[in-house]
Amino acid sequence: MAVKRSTILWAAVVAAAVVLILLWKPTVLVYGVQRAGLYAAVAIPMALVLGIVHIVNLAHGELMMVAAYLAYFVANRLLGLDPFVAMVPVALVMAAFGWLIYKATIKHALKAPELNQLILTFGLAIAFSQIANLAFTSQSFKLSLSYVSASATIGDVSFGVFDFVYVAVAVLLAVGLRLFLQRTRMGKAALAVGQNPRGAAIVGINVDRTYGIIFSIAVGLMGIVGSLFLTKQAIFPGVGGPYTMKSFCLVAMAGVGNIVGVLYCSLALGLSEAVINGIRGYAGWSNIVFFAIIIATILVRSYRERKR
Amino acid sequence: MRRPLSFLIPLLALAAAALLPLVSGPYPLAVARSVLTYMALAISWDMLLRSGQISFGIAGFFGLGAYAAALSVLRGGMSPILSILFAGVFAGAVALILGLVILRLRAVYFSITTLALAEIFRVIIQNWSDFTGGPEGLVLPKLIFNGESKSLYWLVLAAVVIACAASTMFEKSRIRLALSAIRNNEQSAAASGIGIFKYLLVAFVVSSFIQGIVGGIQLQGYGFASPDAVFDSNYTLLPLAMALLGGIHGTPGPVIGALLLGIAAEFLKLHIPYGHLVVYGIIIVLVILFMPQGLYGLLRSRRHAVAPVAENRVDAGAWGK
Amino acid sequence: MAISETSLKDVLLFTFDEINKAGGVLGKQLQLIIVDDEGKGDKGVAAIEKLATVDKVDVLIGGIASGVALAQVPTMKKYQIVTVATGAAASTTVEKALGPSPDSDWYFHLHPWDYNQGQSYADGWDAIQKKYPAIKINRIFLAYEEGAFGKSSFDASKAIFGTRYQFDGASFKSALQGGSDYSAVLEAAKEFKPDLFLWAGYAQDALPLLEQSKAMKFSPPVYLGAPPAWPADMSKSPLAENVMLYGMWAQSINDISAASKKFYDAYVKAVGTAPTSYFAALSYSAVYIVADGIKRAGGTDKAKLIAALEATKYASPLGETITFSPSNIIKHQGIRNQKILQWQNGRQEVIWPFEVQSKPIVYPFPAW
Repeated sequence: MAVKRSTILWAAVVAAAVVLILLWKPTVLVYGVQRAGLYAAVAIPMALVLGIVHIVNLAHGELMMVAAYLAYFVANRLLGLDPFVAMVPVALVMAAFGWLIYKATIKHALKAPELNQLILTFGLAIAFSQIANLAFTSQSFKLSLSYVSASATIGDVSFGVFDFVYVAVAVLLAVGLRLFLQRTRMGKAALAVGQNPRGAAIVGINVDRTYGIIFSIAVGLMGIVGSLFLTKQAIFPGVGGPYTMKSFCLVAMAGVGNIVGVLYCSLALGLSEAVINGIRGYAGWSNIVFFAIIIATILVRSYRERKR
Repeated sequence: MRRPLSFLIPLLALAAAALLPLVSGPYPLAVARSVLTYMALAISWDMLLRSGQISFGIAGFFGLGAYAAALSVLRGGMSPILSILFAGVFAGAVALILGLVILRLRAVYFSITTLALAEIFRVIIQNWSDFTGGPEGLVLPKLIFNGESKSLYWLVLAAVVIACAASTMFEKSRIRLALSAIRNNEQSAAASGIGIFKYLLVAFVVSSFIQGIVGGIQLQGYGFASPDAVFDSNYTLLPLAMALLGGIHGTPGPVIGALLLGIAAEFLKLHIPYGHLVVYGIIIVLVILFMPQGLYGLLRSRRHAVAPVAENRVDAGAWGK
Repeated sequence: MAISETSLKDVLLFTFDEINKAGGVLGKQLQLIIVDDEGKGDKGVAAIEKLATVDKVDVLIGGIASGVALAQVPTMKKYQIVTVATGAAASTTVEKALGPSPDSDWYFHLHPWDYNQGQSYADGWDAIQKKYPAIKINRIFLAYEEGAFGKSSFDASKAIFGTRYQFDGASFKSALQGGSDYSAVLEAAKEFKPDLFLWAGYAQDALPLLEQSKAMKFSPPVYLGAPPAWPADMSKSPLAENVMLYGMWAQSINDISAASKKFYDAYVKAVGTAPTSYFAALSYSAVYIVADGIKRAGGTDKAKLIAALEATKYASPLGETITFSPSNIIKHQGIRNQKILQWQNGRQEVIWPFEVQSKPIVYPFPAW
């Protein structure tokens, strides 16, 4: 019963917030949801890796950057592919790259303390972004695709609708991964490994292989996310860094292993950022909301757990 | 035999460091200042790490210290030396208040909270333009000691000495036991009657105090602070990497790591002008893969047959839980 | 010299090469020493210390980021090496830190200060409105990135435009810092109904801003950008057509200036693409100004070199002759004017100053 009551309470709070926003500035709702979609799409693969392989990948955003450069230089410039088409080959190449990274580096640090893994991926992040800097200089590149300016008009308000793609992708990723983890043999094995690697090994699951596959899937998904990121955003060597941090925060806020939770948390953050952004003269403070909400969530949850 | 040696080496190292300005020019001193800055941060971070708490908030307290020093001079008319002390006290006080709440968090949740706090400090300073100078930052009318290279170097060295002294005190006193008890197993620590939270708070406040002092020195030494410059995430990540490469849970590790990585960075820049940062990243990866206990850990495990791996490994996998 | 941008490093390399192949200066070859400041203050300071005491250079060239320049100023003041600075526009911090003559006479600042730029924009728009009566500007909106660059642009613009025009502005998070959404600032701008919409951000913001403006059906009569560089593929975007910009150099100046053509050809030959930032032309100019100064000074004696540089009259690729004269605080300020340009058929055309105009202005900015 208690669970149910809190669910109703939450639903009421969310509904009230939505109504208030609608009354004040309806577009804020649109932009908040779109922003949330992008955050979630980028963060979900990190949640997968943290939930099962138990490493915080500080090169996460940089992998998105690598994928976007691949989609730009190889798929688009060389082969003339639209990012929506390019995301398939890019995802495959990235998955292979992920497997390689796992075998060459991460695998060997899994038994070390998490700090080692952290600094290892930090080193990878520096290497990736600096290689991009060396190869393509620090200047930025941007595709010009007419569909990203797709627009809808309600009354006298016009807004962009393309960014809903990110929302769709985020939902697809979350639902797809959940189905994969709960319905397929591979997924179930991965879940078992994530919960108890020693136990999983005893029942005959190849833990190392499972880690490798999950890491590779996550990096492959970054191929999709990176290609889609390229549709709208300019790319440059440092483009991934801020997204590593955002994703890390979102994943921690959702709670380790909670992939669907990333969706809700992104929504909460996207909306509150959009609200602060919408208040004239206070846009600069929207950055604070993101972090304040994360701290509040973590504190409240830890307080509740302690009470239990 | 071991005791005098363990006294002698740090003393010799300190003497060598203190005499460096007499034999070297301003350029090596400028590099050394930067290395020592990171060294003090790495040591202070490791002091808290001994309790198992991984802070990502170094840049936050460092930046807070820099701004506390800048504002106390510009708005409060404080003397430069006093402003550095004020920077440390201010950062320590903030840590004390925040620590009461956030130190109850564990593992990744503590880390992310410290990271978020650092970001919050930055955003407040960036947006509170009237008082803090906003995104454009603050400029001091003149540097401490008129920017004289040797004095600046000794000032940063003093911060390192303070950090080392505090760190050694932690190692030699009761606090060490309390912190490693927290790291190893909190329940049994609580059961044995150690007031663990008190020690955790002390460690957090002292390490933040040092980070604040280092931030204050940085401000006085370069004469300028902006949110982007002093809250740069490198001030968090590089000390972490240095401590880890040198070896964690002790004073010598961060010292060795900072020397190694700091000098390597400058050396690489001179010899590989284009692409030095790529090599830098790869070095970090290789060291983690082949020296997982850091350089000092490697030395120790060579010397004693029993490797201290177990000590380092207790919290492995904690982030997954 | 300390420089971080990879592409600007290339400019310095080929410019030195060009001068040395033509026989060098006073029969000697110029030697270039590059130190990367990595965009960090402490690295920038170490770089100056090295150049001053180890390499013992005669002249420093470079520097773009005001943040790094600020950390370097005290050290540069200590050595007082003759410096030709290509960047750092923030007057309230950098110029103030340099201080007045004679203590800052070793510093030759090529790039206009923020108030110089503001003044030149005001002059430019006055002249354009006078020449083209169809263009009426009463309301100006400035969208600025929330960092130091944007904020100082806003402060300087407000000081100059705030009194004569209806002026408003709002900040946004640049894509350079992880921003991805300009909706709030564009909505505020749309509500304000500006005659002139100006944005001060980075190359990464240029096209996403335009795309989102189009999606929101925000098409002010003048759409103007002032980033330090443009993305490499700006000219390929149909949305760029008739967007206006502030800058100092554009390919179209090749048509009227032989110096510009020479610079452009050398750049394309060395780098392989066209320059995306006027800082390339600025760095090129800096090297030639130094070479010319040394020649006239008969060597690198500091007092003689400063005197020679003071008398600089360099017909630069920017389409103007560069000379030095006092600005608000320092004694040696080079360029004061930015140009007003416009993208037309994938090329930046000069609209103002009219002496170097390459195409007439297209107005208003087409509604999509």
